[in-house]
Amino acid sequence: MENQVIELRDVLKKRRTKNIGPLSLAIPEGYVVALVGPNGSGKSTVLNMLIQAVLPDEGDIVWFGETYAEGLPLHIRKQIGFVPEQISMEERYLTADDAAAFRSQWYDTWDGYYFDELLSKFGVPRGVKLVKMSKGERRKYEIAAALAPRPKLLLLDEPSSGLDPFAWKLMISQLRECLKGGETTILLSTHIVDEVRRLADYIVLMHYGKVLGMVEKDSLLDNWKECWVTGDAELVQELPGVVSWKPEAAGALSFVTTACVEVERILQSAGIPILKTRGLELDEVLSLWIEGHTPAENGKMERRE
Amino acid sequence: MRIPIQINENSAEPLYHQIETQLRSLIISGQIEEGTLLPSIREFAGGLNCSVITVRRVYQDLENEGLLRTRQGTGTFVAGVGEQARAQFKHDAVFKALEAAVDTAQSVHCSEEELRSMFFKIVEKKYGGKGGEIGGESSD
Repeated sequence: MENQVIELRDVLKKRRTKNIGPLSLAIPEGYVVALVGPNGSGKSTVLNMLIQAVLPDEGDIVWFGETYAEGLPLHIRKQIGFVPEQISMEERYLTADDAAAFRSQWYDTWDGYYFDELLSKFGVPRGVKLVKMSKGERRKYEIAAALAPRPKLLLLDEPSSGLDPFAWKLMISQLRECLKGGETTILLSTHIVDEVRRLADYIVLMHYGKVLGMVEKDSLLDNWKECWVTGDAELVQELPGVVSWKPEAAGALSFVTTACVEVERILQSAGIPILKTRGLELDEVLSLWIEGHTPAENGKMERRE
Repeated sequence: MRIPIQINENSAEPLYHQIETQLRSLIISGQIEEGTLLPSIREFAGGLNCSVITVRRVYQDLENEGLLRTRQGTGTFVAGVGEQARAQFKHDAVFKALEAAVDTAQSVHCSEEELRSMFFKIVEKKYGGKGGEIGGESSD
């Protein structure tokens, strides 16, 4: 079994207008898990609960195998790097270097050379107070500061918001760099489809405070496709996971399925050629998923034969 | 080192299968030599924008087939491919392509006669009419 870095067990946070949860979720070590979902679905609340910036009303959160109801001890907290969505106020009158000096007191694994290198690569201005920086510059500082201690767990709340495309690419490559050793786990919330495509191993979809599922990204993309075949309505009814279908020219019809791997197997054994397939874009997949079409069973867990 | 693998997102074929098929043929055809160190799973996945789960599955499958071997702490290497396996692969690849061509002929109702005549015409053209005997390159 893989180690779970984080586990949420029936975690519930009561908000004035809505509840977040109950949530159950396990984040395996060494993977990138993308937290996606519409605004207000509870992604930031989840991330904030993972550093105890928000405390759950019910349920347990497990960090590296243990629960810490009395507060996260320093030896756990310093293994976590966090880029919050709301930028903290404490550091705003500090320059990047002064803020880094403060943070490095807490993280004994703080790598000053690495932090310097990141700041230069990102082009973050030195000697300027954080409050005077542009949104993107401030974001770059936050990312550099989260990466500098080389934490085991990175929690990134919409890390790319405000970044220009060059800085975005640099962030992607730096995150990949962190993952090389296989010991870093990343949980990031994002609205950027391309970010999920490039980074994620698993996708967790949240909607109205609930987790709709955790699915292997490639299995999702392998299974959610539009296919064209020659045939009639009867054929479509025989096929699994069909979301919708419509007639096309020349006696063909097209349909969208959430179980393309299975569909292909069935059609192949029936000798019916697939004329054309199109992989759905991730945003199409997510909106169908939110509408209530669930991913194929074989996509839910890691496939082990 | 990057491995030349092309993913088609619009194919009905699952990702791991596309990657596995292409990597297998690169190894068996000898385009990636024995002893070559493959990229780490995370690196390979990053280059293809796919998940590490997919790449791990490909590496495991090919390791089970004896085409790859993993040394703890060093990485995954290309294992030796026997002459027999290479010959088999060559045979299978051509056989499969011919079968697909025959399928195409059948789908447009081409007769057996027509198909045979077309086949021999192509062989004639490509091999310069040296007859059925197809020798390997003499300069080896």
